Amino acid sequence: MEAIQVDGLRKSYADFEAVREISFSVAKGEIFALLGRNGAGKSTTMEILAGFQRPDGGTVRVLGLDPVKDRAKVRKSIGIMLQEAGFFPDLTVAQTVDSWREFVPVARPRAEALELVGLTGKAGTKVRQLSGGEKRRLDLALATLGRPDLLFLDEPTTGMDPEARKATWDVVTDLAARGTTVLLTTHYLEEAQRLATTMAIMDKGAIVASGGMAETLAAQTGRVAFELPSGVEARDLPVDVTAVEGTTVVCRVPDPDVAAQTLLGWAGERGLRLRGLEVRTATLEDLFLDLASKEKA
Amino acid sequence: MTTVRETLAVARLGGRIYWRDKQALTATVLTSVGLGIGLPVMMDRLRPGETSVIVAQLLGMLAVSLTLSGFNQSAVSLTARRDQLILKRLRASGLGDGAVLGGELLNIMAQSVLIALVTTVAVVNLTSATAPRDPVLFTVFVVLGAAVITSLGAAWTVVIPRAEVAAPLSIPFFMIAGLGAGAFGPMNQLLPGWLSTVLDLLPTAAVVKVGGATFADGTFAGDLQAAVVPLLNLSVWAAIALLVISRRFRWEPRRS
Repeated sequence: MEAIQVDGLRKSYADFEAVREISFSVAKGEIFALLGRNGAGKSTTMEILAGFQRPDGGTVRVLGLDPVKDRAKVRKSIGIMLQEAGFFPDLTVAQTVDSWREFVPVARPRAEALELVGLTGKAGTKVRQLSGGEKRRLDLALATLGRPDLLFLDEPTTGMDPEARKATWDVVTDLAARGTTVLLTTHYLEEAQRLATTMAIMDKGAIVASGGMAETLAAQTGRVAFELPSGVEARDLPVDVTAVEGTTVVCRVPDPDVAAQTLLGWAGERGLRLRGLEVRTATLEDLFLDLASKEKA
Repeated sequence: MTTVRETLAVARLGGRIYWRDKQALTATVLTSVGLGIGLPVMMDRLRPGETSVIVAQLLGMLAVSLTLSGFNQSAVSLTARRDQLILKRLRASGLGDGAVLGGELLNIMAQSVLIALVTTVAVVNLTSATAPRDPVLFTVFVVLGAAVITSLGAAWTVVIPRAEVAAPLSIPFFMIAGLGAGAFGPMNQLLPGWLSTVLDLLPTAAVVKVGGATFADGTFAGDLQAAVVPLLNLSVWAAIALLVISRRFRWEPRRS
């Protein structure tokens, strides 16, 4: 059974279509990334899955149940880290966790919850004195208090410093390794690429690309970049040039390894060096930029 | 059982927050207790021995106090928590909607009952007024009244667009409740008959009516008879509050 099954989901606010007939599924134990720019419809989709909003059309199943009609059953098995939600500012971190522990039947001990997200040293600090990143970590601690089967993470690392972000990634990876299904929305492409095994990219409420992370990226063009040797024109090169950025030549090619070998052979025959040579397969950023350029075209 | 446990957990958290909230303490507790005790005590000094006047003043102030600490506090607090996305976070914790709202209302109702009872005990001890002849029935109606009035405050949030205007949009109700209950002196005797009849339909009027019966001479059977119409009154208001909450209560601020 899939942990999440979405078919033809639609949601509008007045005349604005936030989600347009999207379909996807998330297998149990998988980390699924829902990507897109601000306003793409990611958070609306997540809020419908979490049972906060009713869909206008389509069907949604979370752990085999309707998240609105069966919310009482669904809520016991899910954890939610919202993109935006308030805290009681005058409670300390420890008091907040203790209060929330009363809401969960079998909650993690407070010490374990705080250690999980690296907030042990902040236990006595009032929530109003926490940084944005620390509040996100507290949010994650609350979302994972009940050891949920399915975890919704809406922009989980926004506002975190690089160290905290990496620590959060480790927490999410560890939870998934223990069998927790994770649905993640983020606009940090590195985060999605690092964590997720499958993904869908949303744009203007619709899914414009989806599938396994590795396969989807492999299907995209790779990138070869280097400094143009002096006395050489871009048109003289043996591969098609996509762009010249200052003195750097960028080639978008289906197989970047083959293109790099061709270029090195060509340069060797002429006694030239390709300084700053960079060869890489497609990244999510490339995929995003491709989608954006297709949209403009 | 789970819902009861969750509701009590939310109420305990609400209580912890309530007693740290300086605004709630000054606007609700100090005002309610200060006026609720102060005016009957002043009346006792001005018209010593006129017990019925002091009791009428006390019951009028209880109507004001229940409205301030129940209706207004409920409307202001729930609107603020809605706008600060705290209600949303509580829902995300896995709690049922009934437990979140029920717990919030239970806490506010408990504070409201506490204020009303402390006020009553203080007035009875500081003035020539005697304790109610039937304290149980009096307390039952204070509790029922507080529950209904607090729920009406939650229902009123559906028309409050944002937290900043919650207090000004709720203040008129304590004035109306006080006027109808005689908290501001015998001003209600100057009102046209139809307006007095309308004011008698308020939920605070039900508490005042039964409270008056329990303070006056009479029998338990007579008290129960006097409580029938007020009970009906509170039932109708409770049904209105629950209907509005179940259909229109907003957990989050408007998106547009």
